[in-house]
Amino acid sequence: MTAMAPATSMVVQARTKRNGQRYLRPPGALPESEFVSRCIHCGQCGEVCPNRCINYFGFENGLTSLDTPYITPREKACILCMKCGEVCPSGAIQPVRRTIPAITEGVRMGRAQVDKQLCLSYQGKTCGVCYRACPLPDLALRVGMLEQPEVLDACVGCGLCERSCIQMPQAIRIIPAHTQTGEVL
Amino acid sequence: MVLVFALLIILPFFHVYQTYVAAHAYDLLAPGERQLYDIIETLTAPFVDDPSRDLDVIKGNTWSGRLFGVKMSDPLAVAGQMAAGRNVYNPFLLTALFPVVATLIFGRFFCGWLCPANFLYELNTNLRILLGRFGVRSGRRCLDPKLKYIVLGVGLLICGISGSVLVAAVYPPAILGRELYYAIAQRGMGVGALFFVATVLFDLLVARRGFCRYLCPGGALYSLLGRFRVLRIQRNVVTCNDCTKCNSVCEFGLNPLRDDFGQECNNCTACIAVCPVDALQFRWRITDTPNQGPGRESPRYRRDHKDARQVFGNANSKA
Repeated sequence: MTAMAPATSMVVQARTKRNGQRYLRPPGALPESEFVSRCIHCGQCGEVCPNRCINYFGFENGLTSLDTPYITPREKACILCMKCGEVCPSGAIQPVRRTIPAITEGVRMGRAQVDKQLCLSYQGKTCGVCYRACPLPDLALRVGMLEQPEVLDACVGCGLCERSCIQMPQAIRIIPAHTQTGEVL
Repeated sequence: MVLVFALLIILPFFHVYQTYVAAHAYDLLAPGERQLYDIIETLTAPFVDDPSRDLDVIKGNTWSGRLFGVKMSDPLAVAGQMAAGRNVYNPFLLTALFPVVATLIFGRFFCGWLCPANFLYELNTNLRILLGRFGVRSGRRCLDPKLKYIVLGVGLLICGISGSVLVAAVYPPAILGRELYYAIAQRGMGVGALFFVATVLFDLLVARRGFCRYLCPGGALYSLLGRFRVLRIQRNVVTCNDCTKCNSVCEFGLNPLRDDFGQECNNCTACIAVCPVDALQFRWRITDTPNQGPGRESPRYRRDHKDARQVFGNANSKA
């Protein structure tokens, strides 16, 4: 039976790649295949989210993701209130205390990536909006000369920077933890 | 049941209200949203100080929810999760403890007393009767009730193979809780709503209460757990007059008239309510009484036992 687990995760990853939709799992979520097997599709994480940023898949991300929660950071990003982990009954979203050390330790939704071609600050117009939006300033995101953003290792991938970016398309975006390849989708 | 259904509708509205409160943006709400805000505020203001925190005490649905700090989940959710993840997560197992213990005592009571889908299915039965008055005949097929145990087994197997709790997608109470939430607080209903409509049509066109009787995986699990339930409905053969009302009222197609309740009975009390001679009662017993034959007050029994009636009546009143 355990031999089937890697096969399952491969199916999940293949689906994610084929559809190419970039989404985040809620903060504190387990790694993708484990998350999918733990989630019982009850919808409580969305129901406690004070920001209403958690949406639910239909069939668009494959059958196994049916009715599982996701976040599209450009539409609405996670404010790291950590209520979803507290309410999740099955531990698919692990409870994480709402302190900076606990969050940087326990949350791994993804990591921000700056596109210097698009970023205003790298193109000579000082902006710095992403830095002002970051809930972990100077830990996850640092700005240098002319407000040029630089992503640091503590970035948890909440997506508030991507949400706030004034460029269209956005110059900073979250690479979800479950895609792992680092490519910009 | 109606209460549960009403809760499933009001809770998403509470959630939407909470997000409005959290946003501190009453002035920016659209007129409709503002109306909703005012209504919910009027409703809840006497009971809560801080909506963003206090309204969290009741969350979720009958599939899995939180009631005053106690998390409870459907046993099927736990079974499905264990099959999908091939592991046991103890905190989650604990959330099903109360429902399981309650089922061991009261049997398949969830179906008759809590299931929000049951409310709609019973309305659907009323619709059948209404249609019948206009001469429209609805489906009356009988299938094998054991079919739902196969659905349960196959469902859990699919959970195990796919690594996802897909059994939630074919379980009406889970669907209803989710879809009502989607409809009110999210972007509208999903595919689950279509499935639910299909079950309603199945009930209407193929078999009365067909989904619950023959297909529901959750009902199957509850039936297995409730097999040795302690609280049962039993027939008092001395006062029973064989009017057959109990059999025709039973939504689950059981046979109370001949003491055949079995593991599928959900103690819904419909037969008790309809019995004109109060021959059906709750008893603390682990097994059903075996078939006691025709009721002592029935015309048939009176005809057959004209002479010996007095003797039999005394013998039975002792038992």
